[in-house]
Amino acid sequence: MKKLFMVLLIAVMATTLSGCKNNDDDIREIELNVFMSFPRFQEQFEEYFELFSEKMLEEENIRVIINLEMPSSDTAQQLLQARLSSGDAPDIYTLHAIADIPSYYEAGYLLDLSDAEFVDSVYASVLESVTYDEKVLALPLESLAWGYLYNKDMFAEYGLTPPETLSEMEAVVATLNANGETAFELAFQESWIPQLMMALSLGGMINSEEPNFVENMNAGTGSYGDIDEVFGIIDLIMENGTDRPFETGGAAGSAAFANGEAAMWVQGPWMSGSILEVNPDMNIGLAPLPITNNADTTMINLSTSTSLGVSPSSENKDIAIKLVNFILDAEHSSALFEELKFNPLSSVHTYETFPWVDEAMSYVALGKAYLESALPNGVTDETAAMLQEYYAGTKTKQEVIDAIDAAWASAVALQN
Amino acid sequence: MRNSNKVLILFCLPAFLLYSIFVLYPALGGFWYSLTNWNGLNPTYDYVGLSNYLELLDDKVFITSLLFTAKYVLYMVVLQNVIALTLAIIIESLSKGKKVLRTIFFFPNMISMIVGGFIWMFIFTKVFPQLAEMFGIAILNESWIGNPEYSFYSILILSLWGSVGYLMIIYIAALQSIPGQLIEAAKIDGANKLQTIWHVVRPLIINSITIGIFVSLSTSFKVFDQVYSLTGGGPGRATQVVSMNIYMEAFAYQSRYGYASAKAIILFVTILLITGVQLFVMKRKEVEM
Repeated sequence: MKKLFMVLLIAVMATTLSGCKNNDDDIREIELNVFMSFPRFQEQFEEYFELFSEKMLEEENIRVIINLEMPSSDTAQQLLQARLSSGDAPDIYTLHAIADIPSYYEAGYLLDLSDAEFVDSVYASVLESVTYDEKVLALPLESLAWGYLYNKDMFAEYGLTPPETLSEMEAVVATLNANGETAFELAFQESWIPQLMMALSLGGMINSEEPNFVENMNAGTGSYGDIDEVFGIIDLIMENGTDRPFETGGAAGSAAFANGEAAMWVQGPWMSGSILEVNPDMNIGLAPLPITNNADTTMINLSTSTSLGVSPSSENKDIAIKLVNFILDAEHSSALFEELKFNPLSSVHTYETFPWVDEAMSYVALGKAYLESALPNGVTDETAAMLQEYYAGTKTKQEVIDAIDAAWASAVALQN
Repeated sequence: MRNSNKVLILFCLPAFLLYSIFVLYPALGGFWYSLTNWNGLNPTYDYVGLSNYLELLDDKVFITSLLFTAKYVLYMVVLQNVIALTLAIIIESLSKGKKVLRTIFFFPNMISMIVGGFIWMFIFTKVFPQLAEMFGIAILNESWIGNPEYSFYSILILSLWGSVGYLMIIYIAALQSIPGQLIEAAKIDGANKLQTIWHVVRPLIINSITIGIFVSLSTSFKVFDQVYSLTGGGPGRATQVVSMNIYMEAFAYQSRYGYASAKAIILFVTILLITGVQLFVMKRKEVEM
């Protein structure tokens, strides 16, 4: 019985295998492993890669089988790093443009894409964020222009406009308080959200009043004490925020903001999807965060987060690069980016953008924007933890400054 | 005899093989990495000797998390065993409903602590404030997750809820193994309930107490899921336990796998020493029947 079964199995396998060979003799078959930290966009990318496979089959007689792996974003980086360091690199993978490109490149895990087709169509300011060591190392996917979000209807109701300086912001907060509204949504359960306050205000300071800050910090002569003006706005936000922030995560925060529980939220437009899901009619506004009474420090942050790199160890580099180029394909790319609610970042993108993107771009057009600069590894995480403790009252302002200084110094020491 | 020993070893082999591949080999690997500066990403890394261990001596964050864990372990070992034993004694003395109560108290043990964490998160953040409003109990209206003074107790409550049932089963088994005539004899001699428990029951279940304390020591030193799902170690690092500190060191911040491995080795040695001493001391107190 068992033998018969084995014989049958072998016969079946043999016929299927030879079947493949006989029919498609002249078609080359190629497998590409694609690793993306976008489980929420699985369907969209699957469909899009289907288009690519069709195109390849038609134009080059290559059957491309794409193995798409989409782990959740909290585990993606650990999985990816384990893959890379064990020599099992995916052909194409997502990484953070500003935080990851330098270290991945130094470790030899990124292919130089400077000669790829897409480079010509990407906006210069976005291209700069994926360029390191004068090489284009990744294709930008998510490009961001962000500040804080505000409830346009609520602002209109009380006759408010986005403030340009800290004292104007204080006046806005006072008006909101007088009308029984809460000024700021605080969702501090996930530490990256309070960290956004520092990211924005630090960026504003570095790109106006303290241009040598990063240099000084790297040389060991600077300190966050030099930019302690940023605590002006941070204190203001923390003192005029919603209750129980440590019990509110990103999703709960989106819901609360969408329901008008607070007028402003220091949060990027990447949350617009979950906000609109709760309240599809919400008028989301986006403005740069004032830091001091110098209006020049009030700027929009331009950055690129998720981008797509190609592994140098890929066996099918040419096809992998073709796939990366196809992401910015003149014919199909607009539809994809529009569906994913990503910002346009290339001249091939012709879709209509969201009102808050236009609002952010209006500040960019006035020159009130800066390109996010990379901080040493670990500084952002340290800032995130420290700001939580600052709110909880377990760390004082000086302790926060000292801890971030120490994290910076240890990162610099490790790099050398 | 020899032959049957060989057969026994042979039966253990598959388990031992899996154990070696998934536990022993990575543990030894971890020890090796603790002597390097590997960052978990670079294909190359250097041997740095004991410098990771020397750096640990000055790592205030690590030491704070170690002390916080020690405090947690202390509370857990005492409360877990006292509650489990009390429950076991109460349930054993009941004439009806033993099985139902046993099941109810053991049930949380079947749930992953991550899920349990989310259940309690809901209770602490949504149910408690409601109760506070309805009955005017002010303490329920505190921020049980966000205020580090209270979140320690929320973590304790979750951990006890999840683990007491397991020890309770051990103690119930121990109580059932006590020969009835000994307790009867004590009764006839005029011992009251407490005296019986202290002078007859206690010496006879002391080997179970050894196991109970051992289990609670070794598991609470390694606590992770309860803290992760409830507070994430926060706000900031206010409720960060050692295992979470190790995790953050390896997978966040500067991804220092080597340094994180050194911390893990220190945790391992700590648990080994403390449980070793505990077993040694308590074994001497045990009586054989």
